[in-house]
Amino acid sequence: MVWYEVKKVFGRASGRAALVVLLGLIVFTCYFAMETIWVDENGVTQKGRVAVTQLKKAQKAWAGPLDEQTIRRVIEENLRIVSTPEYLSGDVRQNEIAYGWGQGIRPIRDLLNVSYTDDMQHYDYYLANRLDPGMAGDFYANRTRLLKEWLAEGGSGAGQFSEAEKDYLIRKYEALETPVYYDYMEGWNQALNYFSTLCMILAMILGFLTAGIFANEFQWKSDAIFFSSAYGRDRAVAAKLKAGWLIVTGIYFASSILYSLIILGWYGFDGAACPLQASRAGWKCFYNLTNGQLYVLTVLAGYLGCLFLSLLTMFVAAKSRSAVVAVMMPVLLVFLPSFVGNLDVRFVQKILSLLPDRLLQLNMAVRYFDLFTIGGKVVGAVPLLAALYAALTFLLFPAVYADYRRKEIL
Amino acid sequence: MELKLTDLTKQFKEMTAVDGVSCTMESGVYGLLGVNGAGKTTLMRMLCTLITPTSGQIAWDGRDIFSMGEEYRRILGYLPQEFGFYPDFTVEDYLLYVASIKGLRPATARKRAGFLLKQVGLLKAKDQKMKKLSGGMKRRAGIAQAMLNDPRILILDEPTAGLDPTERIRFRNLISELSEDRIVLLSTHIVSDIEYIAGEILLMKDGRIVRQGTAEQLISSMPERVWSLTVTKAEAERCMRRYKVANMKTVHDGVELRILSETPPAVGSKSMGNGKEACRPVPEPATLEDVFLHYFGERTGEDHGLV
Ligand SMILES: Nc1ncnc2c1ncn2[C@@H]1O[C@H](COP(=O)(O)OP(=O)(O)O)[C@@H](O)[C@H]1O
Ligand SMILES: [Mg+2]
Repeated sequence: MVWYEVKKVFGRASGRAALVVLLGLIVFTCYFAMETIWVDENGVTQKGRVAVTQLKKAQKAWAGPLDEQTIRRVIEENLRIVSTPEYLSGDVRQNEIAYGWGQGIRPIRDLLNVSYTDDMQHYDYYLANRLDPGMAGDFYANRTRLLKEWLAEGGSGAGQFSEAEKDYLIRKYEALETPVYYDYMEGWNQALNYFSTLCMILAMILGFLTAGIFANEFQWKSDAIFFSSAYGRDRAVAAKLKAGWLIVTGIYFASSILYSLIILGWYGFDGAACPLQASRAGWKCFYNLTNGQLYVLTVLAGYLGCLFLSLLTMFVAAKSRSAVVAVMMPVLLVFLPSFVGNLDVRFVQKILSLLPDRLLQLNMAVRYFDLFTIGGKVVGAVPLLAALYAALTFLLFPAVYADYRRKEIL
Repeated sequence: MELKLTDLTKQFKEMTAVDGVSCTMESGVYGLLGVNGAGKTTLMRMLCTLITPTSGQIAWDGRDIFSMGEEYRRILGYLPQEFGFYPDFTVEDYLLYVASIKGLRPATARKRAGFLLKQVGLLKAKDQKMKKLSGGMKRRAGIAQAMLNDPRILILDEPTAGLDPTERIRFRNLISELSEDRIVLLSTHIVSDIEYIAGEILLMKDGRIVRQGTAEQLISSMPERVWSLTVTKAEAERCMRRYKVANMKTVHDGVELRILSETPPAVGSKSMGNGKEACRPVPEPATLEDVFLHYFGERTGEDHGLV
């Protein structure tokens, strides 16, 4: 039964076309994620395999615990570069050469900019050029200090959190084990960056594929035979759910594993054990996770999100008996938040932080300071999201089943 | 083997589609005859547990079919009026899928599907996609589907509608073959479909069973008699207004009418063009067609070639 349900989906030209489109979009996404540039010693921009190999070699040279000594060396190296004639030259080619020298320390140099800033929300690209090697010892202390300043009376974050929530954030910051281990981690950065794109594509395609499972019997008018068959109101309905689950699970993991292997295979798996805070994008994050851990969580959250959206699609399809109505669900839930997302209203932001599109972009969600206080306990939005949608997904299975098996065929 | 309907009623908002139907069916072919909108499909949908009755009961060997659930559907075969299918399935896939949701084991399903494909003459077309089949082939796939689980109760809703004459005859023969040792309930608005194959005929009108019996019983219990006479064109039109006219045919000296009436129709014996008098009404043996006209006040769905 399950096999035939799957066959109903992919027997159709539109079902197979969706797979081809998906494959095309994965290739497209990978293509963007694999784009790297390397500026060589002559100031010439290189691309492709050469660029990756060179970048990796240059950044690997700085791998290790990011302690005071390393920070000092990076500050010194940066200062050295910015005082070279090439850097100061008016000639673009000379500037390129100077830029090329800085590629090895580039990720750490970015960290300097976020660590030594005056205001947590401010970023100044040239800040690193004004640092003094003697300041290296403040590198980690700055992080917590800036958070505290931001949260303190007069700071722009002050009004956004309760005292308990502020405490929670500070404790989380302080819990970061320092010095963090630094390594070349372009693979994880790029794979994480583009994963949300992949996830949105998957959510749409999976919604499209699963929308028909519970609507087509009505559209094809095969409903009367279906529901008057022995298993039509029990096992055949369960088989539809199983087929939906299989399609979502199979395609999701096949796609995300394919994607991950391509990107990580291209850049290398290096840096899996580095904490998020070892790169500029994760520096301010209050979840203490490694790249590898976040990646696994991102993949799993994406799966949960896709499964939830597909089940919701199936539920709406069963209710409305129309695949067209149902297929709107994932589109609405994924794209609507990005339209209202700019509203800077606290309440709206809280709600947005719990919408399923966040599951599809967990690598972004871990960077937002979304906190909830439940029963006196402070929790981040991410575990809450996971729990909420795991529960909803879990409830949707019996909800779809119960609705569908009681259909009357008028 | 007894299917018993007790005071079965289905109401759609203000519309009572099936109105207090009671009857008992045992092994044999039952023809449910009624005009469009009589409530045949609604009645059959209730028998297939697709819709729940507003009131009344359906019992199989004394047990309510809705509480029997899966156990009842196991012995049920249904060919709906608007028969849909999975367009991209081959005929064989289609039958195997329906067999699986009917709870047949894969090995049994293969055997039954092969056997039925042969019986309905679709063996050659088994690898064709459903959407490529002709109307008649689809019906045959539909009946094969209904027979997969060798049902005790076989319900066929207007199985011959839309078929051409040869296909219709073929289909009737097929149904006769399949009717052994089970209840076959067959609906139609076309008398000739069931005249020969149905043992028992149920006449359905406005949601009620108005008459029930064999074709002979229905014919002999009709209060009106059938008369045949030839009149002028003008006279014929007058007759049409006053009597139920079962048939009219243009002949060389006027129009030959077949009229239903308890007493001989009183037709003015005006002289015709050539001076001859109109024929007197001659009593004729009644047919099921006439019964249909009597109860429904309109002629059957088939075209009789009116002038
Ligand atoms: N789902 C429905 N909602 C409202 N009215 C309906 C519905 N189904 C059938 N009817 C009405 O019930 C009557 C009987 O219809 P139906 O059972 O289809 O008759 P038949 O099959 O004899 O042509 C018709 O008048 C039809 O309009
Ligand atoms: Mg009907």
